[in-house]
Amino acid sequence: MIHILLACASGMSTSMVVKNMEKAARDKGIEAKIWAVPEVEVENEKDHVDVILLGPQVSFLEDEVKTMVNNKIPVAVIDMMDYGKMNGEAVLNQALELIGGGK
Amino acid sequence: MNFESGFLKRFTIFSQKLGAQVHLRSLRDAFATIMPLFILAGLAVLFNNVVILPTGFMSKIVPASVLTQWQTWGNLITNGTMNLSSIVIAGAIAYHLAVNKRFKNPIAAVINALSCSVVMLPLVAQVAAIAQPDRLVKVSGAISYAQIGTQGMFSGIVVGLLGTEIFMKLSKSKRLQFNLGNGVPPAVANSFRVMLPIIFSICLFSFVSFILQVYVHMDFVALVGILIQQPLKAVNTSLPGYLLIVACSNLLFSVGIHQAVLSGPLLDPVLLANMNENMKAFAAGQHIPNIINYSFHNIYSIMGGSGATFALLIAIFIFSKNRASRDVAKLSIAPGIFNINEPVIFGLPIVFNIPMMIPFILSPAISSVIAYLATYFGWMRPCVVMIAWTTPPFINSFLATAGDWRAPVVQLFIIVVLTLIYLPFLKVHDHLLELSAKKAAEESEKK
Repeated sequence: MIHILLACASGMSTSMVVKNMEKAARDKGIEAKIWAVPEVEVENEKDHVDVILLGPQVSFLEDEVKTMVNNKIPVAVIDMMDYGKMNGEAVLNQALELIGGGK
Repeated sequence: MNFESGFLKRFTIFSQKLGAQVHLRSLRDAFATIMPLFILAGLAVLFNNVVILPTGFMSKIVPASVLTQWQTWGNLITNGTMNLSSIVIAGAIAYHLAVNKRFKNPIAAVINALSCSVVMLPLVAQVAAIAQPDRLVKVSGAISYAQIGTQGMFSGIVVGLLGTEIFMKLSKSKRLQFNLGNGVPPAVANSFRVMLPIIFSICLFSFVSFILQVYVHMDFVALVGILIQQPLKAVNTSLPGYLLIVACSNLLFSVGIHQAVLSGPLLDPVLLANMNENMKAFAAGQHIPNIINYSFHNIYSIMGGSGATFALLIAIFIFSKNRASRDVAKLSIAPGIFNINEPVIFGLPIVFNIPMMIPFILSPAISSVIAYLATYFGWMRPCVVMIAWTTPPFINSFLATAGDWRAPVVQLFIIVVLTLIYLPFLKVHDHLLELSAKKAAEESEKK
């Protein structure tokens, strides 16, 4: 089971990406818990996640979140076009790559 | 991408710094946290002054005197929400600033801020006597809603930011920490650790408050009102000031940084203050003072999300033959109805896309001017009710104006105008897409 956390300004548009990612995960037969929060909540959630993805509109938080997790968990910004097109598969792949690269 | 160089590049770096600025973010987060209270206040005003108005339609079914009694319910809600603005905002700012700065004990910061904000209030409150509402009576031993409500909101912000900064600085000092040694429960140890910092910071604030009241004959709320709130309000919610801020916010979004970064801290406090004044005036049956306010911003300036992309989606559906554009529009229409438009901003994209950036930055200014003039000339009622920003267009304006059918008509007019403004830029955008698709096809043929 992998845990993927998404964060954006209010957790609204990211939650739509989450839905598409869940579908992509089911299609691939991957067991994953994927959820979205407003960026202020990241602090509370960070201990139970394998990877944190930020919406492009909060890309400026990348360094801060990296420091917050002491670089122990991979943190990345979702590609702008994938985000806009709500491309769940691409974002899921991005998350999987990050986890793979971390280990 | 060459257009990313020069101004845009510098602006992007500037926006990223601005977005990450901890005080601005904390202010924005705090407003997001207390938003439910303001929304409830709006509903209470709507309920009291439209649904159960003693002179309204309900009076045919229920006696007016009973309706007046029922209004107590709404009035109580107003007290716990709008009339408490300055206290809750001080606490919320303290919490978010502490969390954003990774301070280990945010609840202590909240308590410190709450105490400090009451310390700054005058000892004597001026209240209206019920028997003679025109006469102001001075009373002691009371806090008046006028001080901790909308009027005090800016002093609440100042105390929340300043009080928390001072408290956290003091807490860092090793000398001010009681160390009880091991074996003491963590909660006890924590409360002792912040004891002296809290004491010092409250004493400091009360000393300032004392000097102001005894020697300057002025209280902090009034001082902040004169020095900060009024000037800021006059600049930020005047038509030119407002237009400048919304246009700049959208410029920010067009380089990929959420517009709330700029408009949140700069506009939200004054827009909310204006909104509350309007709600109060409407509840009292007085002249509505502010055309530009929180609801105005949401229902006219950022209809369908920042940049009024609702109009852009319509332009795409009617006029665009480009597959990519139509796909994005289809994907964006459902969230767009609830004023969420990240899909179109990042998917079309508007970000770093010069042809689309131009109408995107202009659109809030154009829609604001139209709505402002329509209100100014009395063609529709000003916004008097606070509504959630996710309320769909047409419904939101109808509710915000307490049921004025002309407001959705103005919205419709704005959508038509903006659709026409987006149209030429959309054509350029589609044309560029086709050119790059052709180029890509040619290149793959070469291989």
